[in-house]
Amino acid sequence: MSQLIWLHEDCLRATHRLFTEAASADAARPIFIWDDVYMTAMHYGLKRRVFIYESLCELPVDIYVGDTIDTLKDLHSRLGVDEIVTGKTPNPMLKAMMQNLRAEVKLSAIADAPFVQMDSPPDLRRFFKYWNKAKKNAFLYDGRP
Amino acid sequence: MQKQPTQFPDRAALVAHVKALSPGVSDDAVSETRGGRAAAEALLAAIDPTAYGHSRNYLDGAVTRLSPYVRHAIVSLNELRNQALELGYGKAIEKFIQELGWRDFWQRIYTQNPDWLWHDIEPYKTGFVASDYANTLPQDIATGETDSAAMNHFIHELKTSGYLHNHARMYLAAYIVHWRRVKWQAGARFFLGHLLDGDPASNNFSFQWVASTFANKPYFFNLENLQKFAGMRAPCDFHTNKCFGGSYDDLALKLFPKMAAP
Repeated sequence: MSQLIWLHEDCLRATHRLFTEAASADAARPIFIWDDVYMTAMHYGLKRRVFIYESLCELPVDIYVGDTIDTLKDLHSRLGVDEIVTGKTPNPMLKAMMQNLRAEVKLSAIADAPFVQMDSPPDLRRFFKYWNKAKKNAFLYDGRP
Repeated sequence: MQKQPTQFPDRAALVAHVKALSPGVSDDAVSETRGGRAAAEALLAAIDPTAYGHSRNYLDGAVTRLSPYVRHAIVSLNELRNQALELGYGKAIEKFIQELGWRDFWQRIYTQNPDWLWHDIEPYKTGFVASDYANTLPQDIATGETDSAAMNHFIHELKTSGYLHNHARMYLAAYIVHWRRVKWQAGARFFLGHLLDGDPASNNFSFQWVASTFANKPYFFNLENLQKFAGMRAPCDFHTNKCFGGSYDDLALKLFPKMAAP
């Protein structure tokens, strides 16, 4: 299956699981969409934008400028790929973009390696409720027994 | 559709290119902190989790400066924890790993409750209601011309370097919300516009913790605390920071007058 790897700002690492566990060997070169409207909505000034661009320059990635959804749909169509693979994120704006794309395209969002693995969801009402559960594995390599 | 360049003769050329791609950005400051995995790995190799545990609350403490890289997953929390485990064990690295837990905690809340990001999770516990707080950031805070030399120092550092030590963030956030009675959302937007590591979850939920909309009480500090932890890095004398003078009880009466003891 041919794939298009979409890197967004929450997965700027070549060892992210989207590469190690999902991307196939013949996947097209990863892409990043430089979306000014998105960055403005995220309140990003020049400092952050330079940091992100510098980080991209060290990755095997092609950078395109434009609207994220339009550019991805265009590339998906032009390259004739079967699937878009990207990194999972809690960011609602990126999640909405993924949802929009899924209406037309197969898209897989891959989670990064977790900090800590737990049998059941922790209580998130206060940090120490979470921590009392998380600390059992947080001090173990890869966060699991 | 044209691919953008990824090689530049020097950093100034890269910055000029990013400026050209950012027509609506008026701020001109660029941090000395470099993006990319190479810079992150140099910092990763230098972490000292034990020293961090002893000194992290001091502005000259052994913090890692890895937060911008963690923010964009250039370094994962998992590899940072694994690196710490190779350098120490037990109590010595407990605080270091617990602080990584804070980031994981905020990310989990963000995933479960994205609508909490810009809304009060709980009411303020300050004696005031949300409408008592100003919606916008006062100009003297935006420009770093407040009546506190320490806060002006932090604001200048934030705007030029894109980084603030966590304790400095707490001081400045508390100053904005409690001393100036400004909504935490205005402060959060200001921080996100400048911090290289500004993460909607860590930033906004920490602001809510300071404000008391996600905590049982407001976070505030006095001059003695400021001098102890920040005195080596910021101007913390009484004459240029009078608003922080006094005991915690005195300041609580001044900042939260409606919360008078029964």
